[in-house]
Amino acid sequence: MRGVLLGRTVVIMLLAAAPLRAQSQLTIVAPAAPGGGWDQTARVMQRVLAKVEPGTSVQVDNIPGAAGTIGLARFVQSERGNPNALLVTGLVMVSGVITNASPVSLSDATPIARLTGETEVIVVPAASPHQTLGDLVEAFKKDPGSVSWGGGSAGGTDDLLVRLLAEQVGLPASRVNYIAFAGGGAALAAVLGGQVTAAVSGYGEFAGQVAAGQLRPLAISAGERIRGINAPTLRESGIALDLANWRAIVAPPGLSDAEHDALIARVTRMANSEAWKEAIGQNGWDDLFLAGAGFRQFLLAEQARVSAVLQRLAATDAAGPARFTLAVTPTTVPNATVVIFGLLVAGLGAARLRVHAPAVSPSPGRRMAALLGLALLLQPILLLTAGFVATSTVMFAITAAAWRGVRPALGTTAWDVGVGVIFATAIFFVFTVGLGVTLPGSSLFTFPFSLP
Amino acid sequence: MADLWLGFVVALQPINLLWGLAGVTLGTAVGVLPGIGPALTVALLLPVTYGLDPTAALIMFAGIYYGAMYGGSTTSILLNTPGESATIVTAIDGHQMARNGRAGAALATAAIGSFVAGTLATLALSVTAPLMVRLALAFGAAEYFALMVLAFVTVTTVLGGSGARLAGWVSLLLGLVLGSVGIDGLSGQARFTFGIPYLLDGLDPVIVAIGLFAIGETLWVISGGPGEDHVLPVRGSLWMTREEWRRSWKPWLRGTAIGFPMGALPAGGAELPTLMSYAIEKRLAARPDEFGHGAIEAVAGPEAANNASAAGTLVPLLTLGLPTSATAAVLLAAFQQFGLQPGPLLFEHEPRLVWGVIASLYVGNVMLLVLNLPLAGLWVKLLSIPRPWLYGGILVMASLGAYSVHRSAGDLLLVALIGIIGFVLRRIHAPVAPVMIGLILGPAAEQHLRRALSISQGDWSVFLTRPLSATLLVAAAAIVVFGVSRGRPAPGRIEP
Repeated sequence: MRGVLLGRTVVIMLLAAAPLRAQSQLTIVAPAAPGGGWDQTARVMQRVLAKVEPGTSVQVDNIPGAAGTIGLARFVQSERGNPNALLVTGLVMVSGVITNASPVSLSDATPIARLTGETEVIVVPAASPHQTLGDLVEAFKKDPGSVSWGGGSAGGTDDLLVRLLAEQVGLPASRVNYIAFAGGGAALAAVLGGQVTAAVSGYGEFAGQVAAGQLRPLAISAGERIRGINAPTLRESGIALDLANWRAIVAPPGLSDAEHDALIARVTRMANSEAWKEAIGQNGWDDLFLAGAGFRQFLLAEQARVSAVLQRLAATDAAGPARFTLAVTPTTVPNATVVIFGLLVAGLGAARLRVHAPAVSPSPGRRMAALLGLALLLQPILLLTAGFVATSTVMFAITAAAWRGVRPALGTTAWDVGVGVIFATAIFFVFTVGLGVTLPGSSLFTFPFSLP
Repeated sequence: MADLWLGFVVALQPINLLWGLAGVTLGTAVGVLPGIGPALTVALLLPVTYGLDPTAALIMFAGIYYGAMYGGSTTSILLNTPGESATIVTAIDGHQMARNGRAGAALATAAIGSFVAGTLATLALSVTAPLMVRLALAFGAAEYFALMVLAFVTVTTVLGGSGARLAGWVSLLLGLVLGSVGIDGLSGQARFTFGIPYLLDGLDPVIVAIGLFAIGETLWVISGGPGEDHVLPVRGSLWMTREEWRRSWKPWLRGTAIGFPMGALPAGGAELPTLMSYAIEKRLAARPDEFGHGAIEAVAGPEAANNASAAGTLVPLLTLGLPTSATAAVLLAAFQQFGLQPGPLLFEHEPRLVWGVIASLYVGNVMLLVLNLPLAGLWVKLLSIPRPWLYGGILVMASLGAYSVHRSAGDLLLVALIGIIGFVLRRIHAPVAPVMIGLILGPAAEQHLRRALSISQGDWSVFLTRPLSATLLVAAAAIVVFGVSRGRPAPGRIEP
């Protein structure tokens, strides 16, 4: 009787949750954590699209990791043929695909449009002897190692700019003493404190200090001068190079031509709206809108340029002589720890063998723990196939049952399942409806009733 | 001070009080929910606040930030599931206190300690911000590395406690190995990733902590490892006893003193001050052997340090426009959305806004204390849930926490594997806390070392010729030489 009641509760809850799926939905995947440029682009698009297409509900999904290549791989695989999904991408992903040896590249997605860009700027502290880019480049050519360049993560836009600059002035890219920091903020602190000779980052990161006169901008990487920035371009300074930290939108592979054109039209309409222009100004981005075939060509050119410099860099890194004596290479510390760890474990194991601990026969508790451990290992698969509520109910019940298998406790397994369903459903609603965080749950709700 | 007065005039306007209250309530809620950190919440709310007055929106965001710091400790103490990296250390002894029936006291010392630290650190923020900035900028890679050495030397007290010193080192090295997984930040080279894209970004400390603490402990308890079930009903006073007050106030102050300056360092982070506070409290404690088994100092100190460092991160954010944590980065984006450029000129151009936000932090701390002390009584009731369901709930919340950090099923597999490792470590009587120390400090120390050597072009003398770095290294050496006799293990206790 009780079981029937519980079962009925479950069915009613599932039915109540079924209409959760919205009709006209567009998903924008930001392949980065909240707060960064890709995430901001996605969220500004979300806001603008709400005005331009009032009927559409736009959802932003963050899939961070490995310069966006994890988000790209998942997007290309799981959204194939979906005309209602977009991915934010940019220059950093182009190099991320190469440095991370990602099996999926941007060529696997469908290009839609380039949206915005930010110019890079090379700065020195106000007290630095280098007054112009010419001064800095001269010092760099004389003794490349003595000029340290601070910037964001290795392989990112800042790194690329300095390597390209080195090649332009006739030095191999590997001679750059590039100091990678976790993001532009840490690089800013390093250059303000005079820890590095110069720093490279998006202009926005340094704008406050430039305005306050604490940093001197030597050159910007944009092709032309930008209003409000009192610095020459690289070309004006005699270096034939321009680079923008551009951001763009791509769609999944496998779209029909009509679907492809429709998406380009939608994004174009958005990019031409007043709200979008206003948002671009607010965030200090440059409007670099370029759609369709033009963007496809631009993407190919950027891929070629970036992979060329990275390949030359990798080649010289592998063949080059040791730059420093007593060097700590990227592998020194990890290898040393693994060796010491191995020795310690071996030592501990030997000590244990000598003590000769009596073999303990597996107790019921040990068996229950093993059962639960197995369930935990299978949980990811269950979550992706059966959804959050079912998975959590199962895990809840297994844990409770494992507990009960060892010692006496109140309740029965039927109760465990009932409490688990209520608990899991409540959490599901708090997260998806209350907080707008997606859990793999809609698949559960559609699964038994196979709604479209 | 006139500026601060102006700030209070702004912050005490009824509408701003309301936004502040909304922020701290929301912050406490997201702090309690696993895997939903303040960064994600502020990012989710950014588009909503677009039409709002910037001062009101920023007061709310600052409230969320502080509120999440309060709320995060709750899950650490009750469920052994840290919600964010700043509360990882709290879980070590906080949950043991809960199992000893002192959950109320643990929550209270966390809340009051957070209030004390938050208020003092906000005071420090309004008085010493320009000075702190100069100190922060003097920290280069060499200084950071010296600081890491000092941290390592201090925290080695956490390694043992019983005869099983060697086991503590095994845990530490395991943490170091786990910490070096992923793309090397300096060269972009992948290490120990075995061609698995998931591993490229390394292992998230929060996920490892959830696995080690929540999952590992659940497996251990179910296997009957600790003998009888130790979770005692709440005993004694629900609040702190006189003895617990006496043991808490000094750690609160010390935690504040450690947390605020480290939070202000551009590469300090929230984990380092909490770890340092834990280690220092253990060194200074009358009974260091209680650490790991529910010592109130080990909750009071780190909780104070964590809140003080949250105030510290506002120093570089407001004065330099320099975000030093994920939440600060999102706050920076919020400033920019409103067309404000944090930096040296912000104080001059927008004094009402800056001082309004700072004053609202004082107000927010009072609100949080009023909100959290009664809540502690409510949370403690959670522990009277029947054991099978309590552990079922812990397991589900831990899995959800692991999943929702990056919304990746891979994290669930990782948390299961780490949970099993946590079980094995408990089985061989190795302490689990050193794994977290290695995981957090190891990669940071290595990066700063290589960065310093790269800037100096391979010259190792840089660590000794720079005065600040040399001072820190001398302090570390002094601890090694003179501090060995302190914190000698009491015999006969088995590590958790």
